Amino acid sequence: MTRPSGPHFSPDEIDAWLAGTLALEWQQHLDRCQDCLEWARAEREIVDQVSALPLLSPAADFADRVMASVAVPDPFAIRSLQATRRRLFATRRSLAVAASVTILLLGSMAGSIAWTLANQDTLASLGGWLMIQGGQAAWLGLRGLASNVIEQPWYDGLRSLANHPVRLALASAMASLAYLGGVFTLRRLLALPTQQVAHAGM
Amino acid sequence: MTSGRTEWASLSDQEVVLLARSGQEAAYRELIRRYERPVFALLFRMVRDRELAEDLAQETFVKALNAIDSYRPEFKFSSWIFKIGNNAAIDHLRRRELDTLSLDGSPHAETPEAMQATALQIGARQESPLDTVEAKELGGAIEAAIGALRPEYRSCILLRHVEGRPYEEIAEMLNLPLGTVKTYIHRARNELRQSLAHLKE
Repeated sequence: MTRPSGPHFSPDEIDAWLAGTLALEWQQHLDRCQDCLEWARAEREIVDQVSALPLLSPAADFADRVMASVAVPDPFAIRSLQATRRRLFATRRSLAVAASVTILLLGSMAGSIAWTLANQDTLASLGGWLMIQGGQAAWLGLRGLASNVIEQPWYDGLRSLANHPVRLALASAMASLAYLGGVFTLRRLLALPTQQVAHAGM
Repeated sequence: MTSGRTEWASLSDQEVVLLARSGQEAAYRELIRRYERPVFALLFRMVRDRELAEDLAQETFVKALNAIDSYRPEFKFSSWIFKIGNNAAIDHLRRRELDTLSLDGSPHAETPEAMQATALQIGARQESPLDTVEAKELGGAIEAAIGALRPEYRSCILLRHVEGRPYEEIAEMLNLPLGTVKTYIHRARNELRQSLAHLKE
């Protein structure tokens, strides 16, 4: 065996040789180069020794100890709530933020209750004023709606219908029939199929 | 039981993860069963202390399984769990390195007695029966040589040649460029060869 000129093995060629994917020209080089062959064999010896290391096992109760600290999600709980809860308790920082927001909310609620109890007269007068204003606004709205309806071209026809009870009853009956027909059709359309679907039983 | 095991065996990691996410405790146990040995073996060889390796492996699984919703199925579950385990080991080794940096005792010691008590005792350590068992478990020359490698080299060589992971996956797991992983493994093999040659002499 001689020492050929040209480049020698690099770690990439060693890896290829170990994996059995060395290119033909490098294989020919290996047949001629004692240095590269020795290096490759030494690498294989190391890799063989490392690969042969035994797989070690943890203690027999390892899985139980892990499971004691794992929060298995409740299949019946809402996933988003679980995810939120896990995120909240994930780090100290997120826990601190959650606690701060809770304290802020509870504090503002307590402050609101305390202020309400201390200022009942003010609240009562404010409530009365709001009721009056609300009532006036509602009355104005109703009047506006009524005058708008009266101005409509179909209003006279509707009024004359109200003056003839038989025609009114007939129109009401036809409207009720149309409504019932619509509901029945909609129920038929939305009903679940009673026939078995091919993949449903899997 | 056997048929149950067979049913689990036919499922991919991703499918088992989906069942775990739906709240099946058996799926969690299946993931532990699949990876407890390789993860523990990696950690044991990284920290060379059985009790500590079990603690780190437990920490790894608890962290991974409690965050199972954040696992992305387009990646291998094995990569994910090895990545968490390796990070736990590297973090521990870095902390230990900081703690044992001073031969004169802990930097937090305030009295001479405390300095004395926390000083690193080179060569004075008595081997306990547990240590003897561990020494037998990791007793081979190759194990000793791996234990003497830099932690980064150790992770790479163990993942490559014990776990049989491809270079690309190791690079992804360890957040390292592919070329760096190849270099680490090459250097690790070199160092192992030198160590073992030295032992042979």
